[in-house]
Amino acid sequence: MRRFTCEAPIPAETLEGYWLGELDPDAQSSLEEHLFSCARCSSRLQALVDLGAGIRAVTREGGTHAVIGASFLGKLREDGMNIREYRLGPGGSVACTIAPQDDLVVSRLEAPLQGVRRLDLVFHDTRLSTPVRLEDVAFDPQSGEILLAHNTPFLRSMGKATNYTQLFAVDEQGERELGRYTFNHTPWPGSQGS
Amino acid sequence: MNLLPLRAASPYARRLHMVDAPDDGELARRISAAAPGRDAAAEAELCRRFAPRIRLYGRRHLRNDAAAADLVQDVLVLTLEKLRSGAIREPDKLASFILGSSRQVVVDGRRGGWRRERILETFNASLPDFTEDAEVLDSRRLEDCLAALAERERSVLVMTFYDDRPAEEVGAALGLAPGNVRVIRHRGLEKLRRCVTGEAA
Repeated sequence: MRRFTCEAPIPAETLEGYWLGELDPDAQSSLEEHLFSCARCSSRLQALVDLGAGIRAVTREGGTHAVIGASFLGKLREDGMNIREYRLGPGGSVACTIAPQDDLVVSRLEAPLQGVRRLDLVFHDTRLSTPVRLEDVAFDPQSGEILLAHNTPFLRSMGKATNYTQLFAVDEQGERELGRYTFNHTPWPGSQGS
Repeated sequence: MNLLPLRAASPYARRLHMVDAPDDGELARRISAAAPGRDAAAEAELCRRFAPRIRLYGRRHLRNDAAAADLVQDVLVLTLEKLRSGAIREPDKLASFILGSSRQVVVDGRRGGWRRERILETFNASLPDFTEDAEVLDSRRLEDCLAALAERERSVLVMTFYDDRPAEEVGAALGLAPGNVRVIRHRGLEKLRRCVTGEAA
């Protein structure tokens, strides 16, 4: 069993695995002995935990957009978050908004994902001069959909607008559009964007 | 060796503090030698040094901030009383004693026999005043740094740290192998840390 000393700081990957419960009992026990006697490594773990707490806080406030998994969306609901959800098929459009009580807005973009090796997502927002391309997003081919959690403050600041998103399958031959999804956004009456 | 003032505020003062602070064994011996009196500075230094480590242990094993805070109090009270009574025979192994106590209190709690009341009743002790160093993250900067990550990195970090989930679980939800999740997670964390601290890539 490897014993860590202060001359051999614990690798960051190991600290991450420890915090997330991925180490076997012997490795965990050895690492804890080191953490209790090493100010440097315990500070590094503290910094990791603080960063994780920050990510959690930003997520709860809807402060970032992200492609997420369906089980994660279920967890957010279990935790009492108010989630507004829109489901669109390829070529579909939806009238959408964000209400004052909404914590998060999630779009379910249905697409034929079987056989897709790389998936890119492109946002076309009238407020931006050029489209925003998210390359190589994570997806479960079996699910047949992408769940996109939107940035809540960004949505709240939006005026009436029609934006669209595209999904592309990318391979050596080039790219192929899997779907185009149109969002006809109307601000909630009396809100910042109205 | 004299202790520097305990309420070191600046990073520079904290670094000085770390360099000049006595080692664990010396602290333990000072506390034991002062009994039945109190070496307030040594006791406060011990609490400042070990409270964050006990709290991390508690949060890791209990996944509850309030329970972790109770653990910090219980273990520090127990440790100080053992030192004052001369019951710790190997002061140089103070860190091991504190880890062992933390483990025991957590195990007792899981068995339903939480020793908290017993510890506090038995020793009827209060902890010395002490201040822990704390870094506060700039949440606006963190949002900007998260937005700058690659999409996969953002997905993995959000789904991992919202509820401290392991790679197997996050990978299953995103169609990624656990090993791949660990690589993406580590890379994303490093980018985020450098961005938040302003450290050059």
